[in-house]
Amino acid sequence: MVTFLLEVGTEELPASFVDEALTQWRSRIPARLADQFITPEAIDVYGTPRRLAVVLRGLPAQQPDRQEEVKGPAAQAAFKDGKPTKAAEGFARSRGVEVTALEIRATDKGEFVFVTQTIPGRPVAEVLTELVPQWILGLEGKRFMRWGDGDLRFPRPIRWLVALLDDQVLPITLVNGSEQCSSDRVSQGHRVLHPDPVVIPHAAEYLDCLRAAAVEVDPDQRQALITAQIEKAAQSVGGVALVSPRLLQEVRDLVEFPTAVVGKFDQEFLELPAEVIITEMESHQRYFPVLKQADSSELLPYFITISNGDPAKSELIAAGNERVIRARLSDGKYFFDVDRKQPLEAYLPRLETVTFQADLGSMRAKVDRIVAIAQQIAKQLKLKPADQKQIARAALLCKADLVTQMVGEFPELQGVMGEKYARSSGEPEAVAIAIFEHYLPRGAGDTLPQTLPGQVVGLADRIDTLVGIFGLGMLPSGSSDPFALRRAANAIINITWAADLPLNLDQLLQQVVSDFAAAYPQSPLQGESLLQQLREFFLQRIRTLLQEDRGIDYDLVNAVLGEQDAEAGDRALRDLLDLRDRAEFLQTIRRDHRLDAIYETVNRASRLAAQGDLDTTPLDPKSVVQPRLFQQPSEQAFYEALLKLVPQTRAAQANRDYETLVTGLTQIAPVVSQFFDGPESVLVMDDNPEIRRNRLNLLGLLRNHARVLADFGAIVKS
Amino acid sequence: MNFQSVIAALHQFWSDQGCVIVQPYDTEKGAGTKSPHTFLRALGPEPWSVAYVEPCRRPADGRYGENPNRVQHYYQYQVLIKPSPENILDIYLNSLKALGIKPEDHDIRFVEDNWEDAAVGAWGVGWEVWLDGMEVTQFTYFQQCGGLDCRPVSIEITYGLERLTMYLQNVNSFWEIRWNDQLTYGDMFLQSEIENSTYNFEASDPEILFSLFKLYEQEAERLMKAKLVIPSYEQVLKCSHTFNLLDARGVISVTERTRYIARIRNLARQVAQLYLKQREEMGFPLLKSDRDTTKAPVEAA
Repeated sequence: MVTFLLEVGTEELPASFVDEALTQWRSRIPARLADQFITPEAIDVYGTPRRLAVVLRGLPAQQPDRQEEVKGPAAQAAFKDGKPTKAAEGFARSRGVEVTALEIRATDKGEFVFVTQTIPGRPVAEVLTELVPQWILGLEGKRFMRWGDGDLRFPRPIRWLVALLDDQVLPITLVNGSEQCSSDRVSQGHRVLHPDPVVIPHAAEYLDCLRAAAVEVDPDQRQALITAQIEKAAQSVGGVALVSPRLLQEVRDLVEFPTAVVGKFDQEFLELPAEVIITEMESHQRYFPVLKQADSSELLPYFITISNGDPAKSELIAAGNERVIRARLSDGKYFFDVDRKQPLEAYLPRLETVTFQADLGSMRAKVDRIVAIAQQIAKQLKLKPADQKQIARAALLCKADLVTQMVGEFPELQGVMGEKYARSSGEPEAVAIAIFEHYLPRGAGDTLPQTLPGQVVGLADRIDTLVGIFGLGMLPSGSSDPFALRRAANAIINITWAADLPLNLDQLLQQVVSDFAAAYPQSPLQGESLLQQLREFFLQRIRTLLQEDRGIDYDLVNAVLGEQDAEAGDRALRDLLDLRDRAEFLQTIRRDHRLDAIYETVNRASRLAAQGDLDTTPLDPKSVVQPRLFQQPSEQAFYEALLKLVPQTRAAQANRDYETLVTGLTQIAPVVSQFFDGPESVLVMDDNPEIRRNRLNLLGLLRNHARVLADFGAIVKS
Repeated sequence: MNFQSVIAALHQFWSDQGCVIVQPYDTEKGAGTKSPHTFLRALGPEPWSVAYVEPCRRPADGRYGENPNRVQHYYQYQVLIKPSPENILDIYLNSLKALGIKPEDHDIRFVEDNWEDAAVGAWGVGWEVWLDGMEVTQFTYFQQCGGLDCRPVSIEITYGLERLTMYLQNVNSFWEIRWNDQLTYGDMFLQSEIENSTYNFEASDPEILFSLFKLYEQEAERLMKAKLVIPSYEQVLKCSHTFNLLDARGVISVTERTRYIARIRNLARQVAQLYLKQREEMGFPLLKSDRDTTKAPVEAA
C-alpha cells in the first residue's frame, strides 16, 4: 500500500473557490479512481488560499489484474471438424494467444469463439500520471482567468505542483505558454512567516511538514481553531462574539495560519445604528462583532479579526485594524449625519437616477406605480382613511433611502436606514416601520411584515415587479429567475395568508395589468395573455406552498385548485384565504376521518356526473330534475335529501361554513349510497336518454354541493 | 515617510525592476488604468513594463473636504507589467519593504476583488491587498481591454498613495498627510477640493457639459477616421470625464445613462482596435529581442 499526495500551489484563490474545488474533488477523485479499478482506503482533501491538496492513503501499488472476455468469430467458422480454421488462428493471433486458449460458448445468436484474457494491472504511478492533470484542469468555477502568455485557465495562477507517491516524485507538468510548472517535492510555507521552501520527504508527512511551515492545510481544523479562538477572544473583553456561519467559512479560507486578534473602537460610535456597525465589520472588514451577551443586540466597542500574521505581532496588527475601523465608522457617522440633514422625502427626485429595469424606467417611476397599486389594495380591503394615508406615505418613501449615502455604501441596509431616516424626518411611526417591513421577507425563513402598511406596501412593490417583468416577457425558467419572481409571488401569498388579508388577487392583477398596458404600450406581453401567465404562475406558487409549507396532500390541493379547472383557479385567486381554509379543512377531515363517511359516495357521484351536462352552479333539484321520471324510491329519496341540503349548503356557502356543509354531505351520503348500491338502486346510464339525464343531474347536483368546498373527483382516497 | 518620499521610493523600486518610469498623463481621467500607458499598452503581444503616478478625478466622490477619506481628486501609483511575471506577488511584497513596511510584522492578505470598467470594455481578476485590514493595493490580471482579449496577460498593480501614506504617517485624514517636511496635503489641496466639489455638484453648467460631450465624441470619431490613435483616445478620455461630471451633477436619467456608457464603450473599443492595428502594421516594434528591456533581474527578498 502506498500514499499519494497532490498539492496544487497557487496565488491566493478566491475564498469561495477553495470550498467549491474541494467539494468537486471529494466526489470526482474517487469516481475517476474507481473507473480505473483503484480504491484507496482514505481520500482526504485539503485547501488554503494558496493550495488545493488531496492525500490518498492505502492505495494499492498496482491496479488489480482483470479478466477480460473477447468475442471472436462464430464457432462454425472457427472450427471445421474440430480443427481450427484460418479465422480461429487469425483471431488468436490478434489477441496474442494460442489457438488452444480459445473457448466455444453459446450466446443467443449461436455459438461463438471466446478468449478470456488477463489484463495485468498497471502500476498506480502510471495511472495517476494520466489522471492527475484532469483533476486539476477539470475543476469548475465562476471566474477563471488566463495569466502570463499561456492559455491555461484557473481561478488564479498555478505556481507549483507537489506530486509524491510515498517518497517518490510523480512527474506531472502543466505548460502555460513559456511557463512550465513541473511537479516536485517542494511546497511553499506561509507567505511571510515561513518564506523558505518546504521540502516534503514523504507523502504521508504532508500535514506535519506544512504545519511546521505555519500552514494549517485542513479547513476543518482551521475552522475549529478559529471558532475556539473567537470565543476566547470575546470572553477576554467580557462579551459574546456574533459569528455568522458564512463569514466564518470565508475567513477560514482567507488565512493559512489563523490568530484571533481583538481590537477596540471609540464608545461614541455606538451611537450609530447597530446594523450599520455590524455591516461595516462583517461585510467590509470580515470582523466578528462582539455583543454584550448572547441574544442581545447591544454591541460592545470591540471587534475580532482573524489575522494571517504572526501571533507575536498581534498588538501591532490590532492597532492597524483599529485605525481602519475608526475610519470606516467615521465614514458611517458622516453618512448618517449628512443623510439626516434633509428629510427622507427630499431624496425622491434622485431616484430618477437609479434604474429599476432598463425598459421599466427608474426607481422613481416604480415608486409612483407602487403608490398607485398600494392605493388599489387599500381600497379593495376597504381600509380606514387613516390607514390609507399612512400606506400612501410609506409607499411614496419606501425606496427613498436607496439614494442616501449610507445605503449607497451598504446596499444591504436598504429599508433599515429608510426606517431610521423616516423617524428622524418626523414621519409617523407606522410609516417608518412600513418602510423597513415592505422588504420582508428578505429570504426563506425571514419574518413577515407585522403592520398593515408594511404588508400593503410590500404587496404593491412585488405585484409591480411581477407584472412589469412578466410584461417584458422575462418569465422565470428553470433555475433562471434573476428578478426573484418566484420569491416575490411566494411573499405575496404568504403575507396575505399570515395577515388574513381578504385580498382579491385576481381583480388586483387585472387592474395592474391594464394600468401597465397603458403605461408601457410597447411591452411584448399584455392584456389577457399577460394576465393568464400571471394567473398560472401564482397558481403554481400556491400549489407549491400548500404542499411544501403547509403539508397539504397533493390530491387535496388538486381538489381545491383543480387540475385543468379554470373555474377553480379563478376562485382561488379571488379569495386566497378561503382557498387556504378549504385546503386545510380538507386535510383536517382526512386526519380526523370525517372524510371517510363521504369520500366514496361523493367522489363516485362527482366522477360519474362528469358524463352529464349539468354545469357546476345549480344546487336546487327543482329546476333540473323531474320526479316524474323516477322509477325507484331511491331516486325520490335522493331528490328529497338534496332539497333538504339546499338551504344548508347556501348558508355554508355564504358563511364559508364548511363544517355545516360536511355535516350535510354526511347526512346525504347513505341516501346516495342506496341510490348506487341499495336494494332499490338504479342504473345511472339508463338506455332512455331522459331518465339517464335525470339521474346524472341528481349526481351533478350532489357534485355541485360538494364543490362549494372542493372538487371531490380529484380526491384519491379517504 | 513623506508623501513625496513614498512616490520616490516606489519610483526607485519599480525602476530597479525594469519598469520605465513615466510622468502623469495630462488628460483628466477616473483611474490610472485609463492612461494610454496602461489601457492601450495592455493590448497586443509587445512586452511592456511601466510605473507612474496618476492623478484621478472622480467628481461624484467629492465631499467638500469634509470627509477624511473621500475626495474627488487623488493620486494612484500604477504599475503595469506584460506578460505577468511568475513571482509578481513576491516582487510586490518587496515593494512594501521599500516603503519600510515589513510584511512579517503585519497581517497581509490577498482578498478576491475582480475589476470591471464597462465604459471602456475592460475587465480583469485579482485582489485587493489588505494590510492589517486596510486596503492598500489593487491587483488585476487584465483579461480584456476595449473589448479585446489581452494576450499575453498584463498584471496591473495600483497603490492608493494617500491611504498608504496615512498608514505610514499614522494620520487619520487626507488633509493631515505630510507632503514634505513643510507642507500637508491639506495645505496644498483642501481649497481645491472644496472648490471642485462645488463645481462638480453645483456650479458646472449641464448644458455646456452636454454639448462638450457631443463635441468630444465628434472629435474622437473624426480623428479615428484620420487614424490618429492617441489624439482620438484623448477625446475618448474627455468624453468619459465629461460624463462623470454630468453624472455627479445628477442630470443623467436612467435610460440616458446606459446609452452614454454604451457610446463611450463603443469609442474605446474602436480606438483599441485602431491601436492594435497600427502596432501590427508597425511590426510590433517592442517585440524585437535586442530591445528587451522588460526582463530585469528580480532581487531576492
